[in-house]
Amino acid sequence: MNDQESHSAELQPTLAEIDCDGALRETAADAFPLTRGELFRQSATAAAAGALGYFGAAWEDADAAAAKTANDIAILRFDQVLEFLQSGLYTEAERLGALKPETLAWARVVGAHERAHLRAIERLLGPKKVKNPGFNYGSVTADESAFIKTAVAFEDLTAALLKWQAPRLDSRAILAAAVSLHSVETRHAAWIRHLVGLQPATSAFDKPAPQHKMAQLIDSTHFLVSQPKTTARKKPPYTG
Amino acid sequence: MRSRHAAAGVALLAGGVVAVAAFAHHSARARTAGRADGFVAQAIHLPPPQKPAFTVGRPQLLSRNETRARFAPVIRAVAARAAPGPASGIVASLALRTPEQTTNIVLVIGERARPDGLWVHVRLPVLPNSLTGWVRRGALGGYRFLHTHLVVDRARLAATLYRNGQNVFSAPIGIGGPESPTPAGEFYIRDRLSGFGDPFYGPVAFGTSARSAVLTDWPGGGFIGIHGTNEPALIPGRISHGCVRLRNRDILKLARLMPVGTPVTIQ
Repeated sequence: MNDQESHSAELQPTLAEIDCDGALRETAADAFPLTRGELFRQSATAAAAGALGYFGAAWEDADAAAAKTANDIAILRFDQVLEFLQSGLYTEAERLGALKPETLAWARVVGAHERAHLRAIERLLGPKKVKNPGFNYGSVTADESAFIKTAVAFEDLTAALLKWQAPRLDSRAILAAAVSLHSVETRHAAWIRHLVGLQPATSAFDKPAPQHKMAQLIDSTHFLVSQPKTTARKKPPYTG
Repeated sequence: MRSRHAAAGVALLAGGVVAVAAFAHHSARARTAGRADGFVAQAIHLPPPQKPAFTVGRPQLLSRNETRARFAPVIRAVAARAAPGPASGIVASLALRTPEQTTNIVLVIGERARPDGLWVHVRLPVLPNSLTGWVRRGALGGYRFLHTHLVVDRARLAATLYRNGQNVFSAPIGIGGPESPTPAGEFYIRDRLSGFGDPFYGPVAFGTSARSAVLTDWPGGGFIGIHGTNEPALIPGRISHGCVRLRNRDILKLARLMPVGTPVTIQ
């Protein structure tokens, strides 16, 4: 079994478990112009969809030429940093492997999603994309309680942030893309909340959270740091 | 006779009720169907959906087989201890900078959670070679993960770079002679120097955490480098003062493949 196949196998049961009579797959087949065979071949992605309603790979390629105003670029660059931060946090937690198995399983899938979000935003921004800032998660990625608190806060606030940003976007095309991220972020939030016994849905209507709230949260974590300087233009002092 | 008439009347009444009910049901269905048709007609005339500016590609899970080395910068000058805990003996001091004035980094090889916080097991750039120690997590900055590992084989006079266990680079090398041998042990790449304009070291030089056990008074502490050369004809051979020398085309290729922080095994 190769890497991709093992990934598929790892994600696949999720869809099968909740889609006993195949109704979801039929609905998906109606909603997207795929043959049944194509749909089932894409079940690695559909499996993520089973947990997270994700059918992105069935869409056409991104239209990187979508009109981008200075306002939209500023919002996207902020979101890109946020994706760097989140994907880095979850990826590091998975690599260290110090958390509970169910938390690691969450970090593994959500980390993959956030990395995919990051790549998509980077592609859209092109040369205007942000360079990866340095992050220092300290002991958070090896401490169950600290990680859960951080993950719940990030996922809750990301969903709320996207709600705040959406009506401020100039481009309907970017709005359409942002909405597809938003629903996934809310699923991440509900999933991690459920995992730790918090109520997944606390109200009938969610409120948006302004961007400066997220900036404050990021600032309060002290995760953002400068990259170490590991290269120099200097004569080597080595023994030769 | 009267009872037969009464029975017929009841039957007639019941039939009428059934007929009225059936008519009412049919009418209701017809009205519902009409509304449904209206909904469908309205939906059909809605504008097509907005094509999104980007779509999110297939999520890629981390490979279970990836090599996961990591390093971290020293962000607080700190004493490394023999065991996790403030009562343990000090084995070395870690400064913020290397002698080359780059950020001092350490290779992380483990962690232990204690009541007083998280302690990190690190490889130290000190003599004796391959020494390790423990520092508090707070003394180090963010982890950077790597998937590469360089193996220097002194018997075969060859260096091989592995990425996720796969051989991606191999080249002949020059190593230290009998007077100043290249030390064996477990080390890591500390920094990368270039643009220094000294042909003796070639175009690129990597600093390692290995140190010569013989040339201890060498300026900068006698660190072992991996670098190019102005005498390629001597490679492979035991020709250096302890450093690992590669032909310039090989060190340039290695520089493209090997990030700072890569673990180095000299065997």
